[in-house]
Amino acid sequence: MAAIEIQGLTKRFGKVHAVTDLSFTVEAGRVTGFLGPNGAGKSTTLRMLLGLVRPNAGAGLFDGRRYEDLPHPSSHVGVVLEDASFHPGRSGRNHLRVLAAAGRHPARRVDEVLAQVELGPAAADRRVKGYSMGMRQRLAIAATLLGDPEVLILDEPANGLDPPGIRWMRELLRSQAALGRAVLVSSHLLSEVAQSVDDIVVISHGVLRASGPLERLLGASNGSGPVTRVRAADGDRLAALLRGQGITLESDSGVLLARGVQPEVVGAVAAEHRVALVELGAQSPSLEDAFLELTEDHK
Amino acid sequence: MTALLHAELIKLRTTRTFVALTGIAVAISLLITALVGLLSEPTEESVLIDVFASDTSGFFILVLAVVGISGEWRHRTITSSLLAAPDRLRFLTAKTLAFAAAGILMSLLIMIAVTIVGMAILTVRDLPTPEAGELADLAARNALVAALLGAFGVGIGALVRNQVVAVVGLLVLTFVIETTLIALVPEVARFGPFSSLPTAMAGISAEEAGLGDELQLLAPGLAVLAMLAWIGAAFAVGAALLRRRDLE
Repeated sequence: MAAIEIQGLTKRFGKVHAVTDLSFTVEAGRVTGFLGPNGAGKSTTLRMLLGLVRPNAGAGLFDGRRYEDLPHPSSHVGVVLEDASFHPGRSGRNHLRVLAAAGRHPARRVDEVLAQVELGPAAADRRVKGYSMGMRQRLAIAATLLGDPEVLILDEPANGLDPPGIRWMRELLRSQAALGRAVLVSSHLLSEVAQSVDDIVVISHGVLRASGPLERLLGASNGSGPVTRVRAADGDRLAALLRGQGITLESDSGVLLARGVQPEVVGAVAAEHRVALVELGAQSPSLEDAFLELTEDHK
Repeated sequence: MTALLHAELIKLRTTRTFVALTGIAVAISLLITALVGLLSEPTEESVLIDVFASDTSGFFILVLAVVGISGEWRHRTITSSLLAAPDRLRFLTAKTLAFAAAGILMSLLIMIAVTIVGMAILTVRDLPTPEAGELADLAARNALVAALLGAFGVGIGALVRNQVVAVVGLLVLTFVIETTLIALVPEVARFGPFSSLPTAMAGISAEEAGLGDELQLLAPGLAVLAMLAWIGAAFAVGAALLRRRDLE
């Protein structure tokens, strides 16, 4: 059984179809990226999954049960939503004490998770209104870890984090997955997602566009065949030679992108005409390319 | 439920609003007691109500409860609250019980302070003082009033998400609508939950409470039942709204 199973979720706000018949699964031990343009329905989907928004149809299940039917929800699922909010007059530590009490977690967990997210005692005892965005995000993540949950759901967790914080977040996600936990993370930072996730789910206009392992989706998006990236001392001459071979080229700041051919072919042409190369290699499709390809047709 | 109630009590204790409003309530109650004790000449029959019935906890716990639940929307902490307690009815019940308990605590604090100051002033002035049993009875009645108004405030706050609208609406209902009804239609106003019923539950006459001599208050027991009906109605509507609302 999948750790998270989304079954035909549908939500309409008046005449707006926010999410339509959305289905996908999230497996334990893997980090799944949940991607989509702004307004694609990611947050609405997560909120339906968590019982905060009522779906018009379908269901979101954790080990076969709805969130509200879990006996101890915060021990099973840890959540950071995009608008993680705190009472500004309450200290970070007291915010966690409230959640620990409500979730029936031992009080000692408060200090443990504060240490885990590297919020020191002085910061923890300050009122939240004095926190930076990054500190708020760490506090939100501390709250998700209180119950040592099997499933983590994070909506834009890197928001407000500085580069060391983003690296810390990436390592946290990977370490949680390594412990066998299911991690579902929505983000608009595609380069960040590409470094962290095993699987991706792409939605646009509330409709599923693709889901599966990252490598497979990147391969599938590269539909026009291989792309070779090449740079030569005499770029104009190499471009003329390659075009003479019927190869389609694009130029990007002195770098030539040869479409439909492997690097070996480009290298052979350069060698035959004694053109010195500075750089030669296969251009890997980026998550950004795949994302745009999967969502562009549906704008 | 115990865990949720514990969480709600921590929420109350860990912001300055509760401490500040409790402090103001104690200060105002003490000021009234001190002024009356120093400036009037209460008789043996009137001393209990004149000097010791200055407990303002009912109004302040009502405001605090409205602020408490509407603040969940204002600060958007309602999301984390409902993630911890997905059963919204249980969440609202825990909050209601927490503010009822806070009302009792606030009222008892005030009664202790008022008793100490009032007795000291009366003793120094060599004026009659009430019996301990009378004071205990008044304290119990005031605590009951504060508990019920705390619970009622949660119900009211659950109806209106906007904190400013909720608090202003509460003040208008208390000081304009119900006061006007007392003056114009006292037979209806006797069921009012902000002044008439609390006064009746505290065992104080309308005249002693400054509500006029036209108002025929309900007997204390009936007033409690009427107040419970108000709480039940506000809670039911508030709970229905909360269960239907999407937290976008």
